Order: sequence, then structure tokens, then C-alpha cells
Amino acid sequence: MRRRRRRAIRFAATLGLAVLVLWSIEATIVADTDWQRIGSPAAVLKSVSRFLTIDFGLIPQLLVPMLETFMMACLGTLLGVFISLPVAWFGALNATPFKPLTYPLARFMMTLSRSIHEIVWALIFVAAVGLGALPGILAIAMRSVGFISKIIAEAIEDVDPKPVEAIRAVGGNGFQVLLYAIVPQVLPVALGTVIFEWDINIRRSAIMGLVGAGGLGLTFFRQMAMYNYGGVTTVILAILCLIILGEVVSTAARKALI
Amino acid sequence: MPILEVKDLRARYSARGPEILKGISFDVEAEDFLAIIGPSGAGKSTLIRCINRLVEPKSGEIRLYGAEVTKMAAPELRRLRRNIGMIFQEFNLVNRMSVLDNVLSGRLGYVGNLRSIFRMFSRSDIARGLELLDRVGLSDQVDKRADQLSGGQRQRVGIARALMQDPKLLLVDEPTSSLDPKISREVMALIREIADEFKVPVLCNIHDVQLAMEFCNKIIGLQDGIKMFDGPTETMDRRNLDQIYAMEVL
Amino acid sequence: MTALGDSGMAARVARRRWRRWRDPGALMRGGILLAVLVFLGYSVHFLDVDLARLLDLFGRTGRLLAERYFPADLEYVLAKGYIASVLETVQMAYLGALFGMLLAVPLAWFAAFNMTPGPRSLYPAARLAIMGCRSVHEMIWTILFVTILGFGMLPGVLALTMFCIGFAGKLFAEEIEAIDRGPVEALRATGANELQVMIYAVLPQVRVAWTGIAIYTWDVAFRAATVVGFFGAGGMGWYLKRNIQQLENQRVAAILISIVALVIVSEAVSAWARAVMAKAK
Repeated sequence: MRRRRRRAIRFAATLGLAVLVLWSIEATIVADTDWQRIGSPAAVLKSVSRFLTIDFGLIPQLLVPMLETFMMACLGTLLGVFISLPVAWFGALNATPFKPLTYPLARFMMTLSRSIHEIVWALIFVAAVGLGALPGILAIAMRSVGFISKIIAEAIEDVDPKPVEAIRAVGGNGFQVLLYAIVPQVLPVALGTVIFEWDINIRRSAIMGLVGAGGLGLTFFRQMAMYNYGGVTTVILAILCLIILGEVVSTAARKALI
Repeated sequence: MPILEVKDLRARYSARGPEILKGISFDVEAEDFLAIIGPSGAGKSTLIRCINRLVEPKSGEIRLYGAEVTKMAAPELRRLRRNIGMIFQEFNLVNRMSVLDNVLSGRLGYVGNLRSIFRMFSRSDIARGLELLDRVGLSDQVDKRADQLSGGQRQRVGIARALMQDPKLLLVDEPTSSLDPKISREVMALIREIADEFKVPVLCNIHDVQLAMEFCNKIIGLQDGIKMFDGPTETMDRRNLDQIYAMEVL
Repeated sequence: MTALGDSGMAARVARRRWRRWRDPGALMRGGILLAVLVFLGYSVHFLDVDLARLLDLFGRTGRLLAERYFPADLEYVLAKGYIASVLETVQMAYLGALFGMLLAVPLAWFAAFNMTPGPRSLYPAARLAIMGCRSVHEMIWTILFVTILGFGMLPGVLALTMFCIGFAGKLFAEEIEAIDRGPVEALRATGANELQVMIYAVLPQVRVAWTGIAIYTWDVAFRAATVVGFFGAGGMGWYLKRNIQQLENQRVAAILISIVALVIVSEAVSAWARAVMAKAK
């Protein structure tokens, strides 16, 4: 009897969900879309086909932006790591200096960093420091802090106390305990996470230019503005190249760490 | 004059917790290899850790070469600790560091912060570390990562690390609990040899009474935080053992 | 082997000349570290990163926030038009997440190295598809779809769908690759076809993990949905763009606060859902 009731509830829930979804589709897509402008499926396909060429002449002009994008990702990740270290320290229950204050503060920073989309961070920093690569770097850094510091804080919380005891017993001071007992345990996890985040940051770096922060995003924006769809596709391919490079390096590096 | 004097040592882990050590007193002479035996929970680990204040004693006196340990401030305590070598039950090595670096970390009490960062130990330190590794039979493992070694090998690294400090006293906490019987015997023999060779007194926690009686010249029996026996190994007999381990049978 | 005191005078003398960097691994690691540091230093130069501007940042931002963005125009975000856009954003997010995950399920199956029905054809194709979806940033998807289909929520939902296919697809596939082969072999032995094996042997094993991934996907989809409007795809982002262009900074501040608040609420809801699930297990 119980089973039938549970199945009935599940069925009702699924039905309710389906109704909700259908209503949403109607309310958002169907009602809101300018079907006239889109035209027929054939017109859509024609639209798509405009993107399906490569603008070879553009390629030489992409090298500098590609380097810029790559560098922005690297520097952004680096800055993110620097900011993550104190945040992780505050956010680790066994290491935080003043639990009632510093721990919630760190946790809040972690949440804030992950909740704000990188575009929003970029907008904030473009307003604060102007255009160029710097706001992009800052935005990437702030966006990365959340994940990196969270993982490092967890690693600090999971640290094995035995080497800590040993270094204390040998007469080491607090700094030496940190350096010889805690850092060697936390470092591999931390590095793996940093490399992982660096890989993701390449993706993020590519769009920073859409709001004025330099790199391939800017090239993308310009090509769109000039309606050069082939150019747009070429820029996307350039981005994909960078991402593949990042994946290759990232996988190799993380394997080497184990 | 005894190297180590302990008078009426009391300890507990938290302010409202039970008293783990209930007034222990004993002396360690220059040539002693003193075993502390007793059932689990008797306070053996706590006692060992009070000597170098890894656990803070609640009251009592501990004197190493006449210096009162319990009253030392932090810098003095560090200096004390670098004179006391400690060997641990689970080796307590830094797993990702090399064997040699683990041994060299025994000198950290003597090395400044800046040199610690770059692991710039002096040449004589490095030479001594290599010598010690040779002495414990690990000269071909010098650059291996500590977690690539077997249990017995790791304990020997721990022994070398303790010796790196040129200690005036060796604290040994259950050196063989994580090792199999054959290796246990070898490790105990090594510690005994080295203690004799470098003339260092040893205070050793051990749960294997056979090993205690074979390698140690004096035995202290602990039960529930109270000293039940204190005397030369020869005088330890069946009756004493039953007394010390009485609770365990239950 | 107990301690031996003597492994040869020669050996001892030779080893005394031990140097830290003789170890080839250490040399390579040091070299890589040096190369990375040089590259980073060069990057700072190449990108014209003005470190003075960076230090000035704190003062500037502080003054900027105080003068132009404070107090935030909270009335604006409580107005009906804005609230409607918030609803739109939520709907776009769950539609995108839903469609994305529905499409990700078969793709993940094909892209799972251990269960793929077509190891030579479907596997690489599915892997490529998922990687492709992941690699293109959701904002780029948004711009592409907006270009083809015009403004509105349809391109937003499609862009989020593509993003979620990539996001959930990879995670789903990883879970499939981690299953226990036992039930799979048992079912295959009875003569079931690959689809039946998938449904009866694989899905029950990955169900719990996939639900967690679904919640995670919703989180990232919602976060992205708040911003897609910036590029024309409906939702709150459009208000953000308009107000930035019109230099209505106090409204921008309010919108940013509302975005952050909503994302935090969404994450709280997800955390609660995860806790409920953990208990129900």
C-alpha cells in the first residue's frame, strides 16, 4: 500500500514538473520570441551557414590576442592563488585565528567569489580601473579565489597531525612546523587544484574582452561589430586552440603531481 | 646524578576531564634503557609526551639535567626539545619529503627560518645525516620519498632523525607497535645499540613485555595513571606483571 | 638487516659530496619553476599591467563605490518589470539545465569509455561534442544564438542548454566510468541489449551521483542565466546592460546586489536539497 502511495506521489510530481516545464516554455520561448524575424528553418540555416567559413586573413592578427588571453589567464590564476592563501587559512576550522569572526568571513568570501559571474566581476573592475588587461586579470583572480581557497582549506583541515607532532618535538618553531609538516601535505592538492582552475580560467579569459578587458574577447567583439561572421568563427577556433593547449598541459601536469 | 627526574607528575587532557597521570615519580640515570609498560589507557603515551611538553602537565616537576621543564617559556622549551630526540609509534615522517630531508629536519631546532625555507642545512649537517643513515643501514635510500619505504625502514629513518639532534635523552613511544615481530626485534636492537654507542639514556614506552625484558635494564609499570612497579628488569616477575595488567584481563 | 656500521670508507667519502640538485627530478622541477616565473614576469610587462594602477585600485574603488554606487537604488529592483525579469531568468535557467541534462544523458552514455555502444564511432564523436560544448564559453554561445535568432529568451535557453550539455555531460560520463561492472556483466549474460543494460544496470548505480550533479548543474546554470541577458538573451542581465550604458550607477549597484543575493539564495536551496537527499539515502 505504501509503495503504491509513493509511486502515486512520484507520478504526480513528475506530471506537475512536466506541466511546469511546458508552461515555462510557452511563457518564455514561445511568447517572447520574435518568430517573424527568425523566419523559416531555412532562413535559420542560412544564418548559421554564414558562420561556417574561416577568415584566413585574420589569423596573423590573432596571435597577439591569443598570447594576451593566455597571459591574462596565467596572471589571473596567480593573483587568485595569492588571495586564496589567507582566505584558506581563515577558512580552515583548525587553523583559523579567531573562529567566531575569521571563519565566517572566509566562508562568505568563498561563496561571494563563486556566486558572482566572471562577467560581473569584469564589469566591476572595468569600472574601477579602466579598460585593458588589468580588469580581466583581477576578475579572473576574484572568480578563482572561491574554489581554490575552499580546496586548500579542506586540505588544511584534513592534515595529518603526526608530522606536526614530530617537528614540534624536534624543537621547530611555528613557522618550521608550517613549512615542514603542513605545507608538504597541502601542496600537492593545492597545486592540482590551481592547475585545474588555470585550465578553466583560459576559457574565462577569452571572454573578458567582451566587456573591455583585452585578449581574444575584444577581437571577437570587433568581428561581430563588423558583421564578419567568418572572422567570428576563426576567433572561436583560436579560443578552442588555446583551450586544447590548456587541457593538454593541465592533464600532463596533474598526472606528474601524483 | 640522574639525567631526568620526575616528581609527582599529574596530567589531564582537558580541564574537566579525568586525571590521566596521578602523581608519577621516577628517575632516569645516564646509562638507563628504561621501559614503561602497562595496559592501554594506563597513561604511557601521556607520560612520554609530558617530558618534552607535547602534552602540558597539570602539576609536578620534571628536571632534565637539573633544569625545570614545566616552567620553561617557549624559546627555552624549543632549546630543550632540540636536546630530546623522539621516536614515534607511527614514525611521524613527512611522507613526501626524501629520507635525507626527513633526517635533516631533526636539526630544525638549530636552523633559522630563512634557511628552513630553502632547506639550506650546513655541510656538516648533511654529512652527519648521511653518516647516520649509513649507521642505520639506509644509505641506498637517501633520496627516496619517505612513503616509498617499508615500516621497518621508516622507523630507522625516525631513529636517524632523532640522533641528528645529538640528543641528551631519547623518548621512544611504542616503536614497534606498527611493525611485525621480526622487524620489531631488529628495531629494538638498533635502538639499544645506538643508545649504548652514543651514550644516550632512553625512556621507552612499550607494550610487548618480552621485548622490554630483553632489551631494557629497568622497567616501570603503569596502571591507570599510577606507578605500580619501578625496578631493574631482573626483579620483575609474574606476580608484578599480573598486578600491572590486572585490569586488562577483565 | 640490523644496523651495519661499515659500508665502506670509499662509499662514505663519495656520498659526502651529495648535492641537492644532483637529483634529476629536482633539477627539472627547479627548471620548470624558473621558466614559469620568467614567463609570468614577462607577461606583466607584455600586458602593460600598471602595478601603480593596481595599488591605486583600493582607493579608487572605495571612492567610486561611495560616491557613485551608494546608496543602491533598491526600489528599482523591487519594481514589477524587474521582478518579471528575475522570473524569466529562473525559467531560462531551469529550462536550460533540464534540456541540457536530458541531452547529456545519452551523450554521456556514448562518451563513457566503459559502456559506450560504439567505441570507434560514437565514443570519439560524443567526447568531441561534450568537449566542444564545454570549451565554448556560455557567453559566446549566447552571442551566437542571439545573432542567429534575435533577442529574447530562446537564444538564452539554447545557450544555457549547450553549456549544460558540456557541463553535465562530462560529469555524468565520469560517473558512468566509475561504476561496478558486476551488474553489467550479469545483465549482458542474460542477453539484454546495450540500452537495457544501460537502464537496468548502470542508471541505478549512478542515480544518486547524477542527482548531485543535477543540483550542481542548476547552480551554474542559474549563475550564468543571470548574465546572459547582458548580451541580449532575456532576464536580469539585460537590465544590467541598459543601466550601465545609461550610467545609472545606483541602479547598477542594486542590480548587482540582487544578482548576488539571488545566487546565494539559489545555492542555499541547493545545499538544502543536497542535505535532504543525503538523509533520504
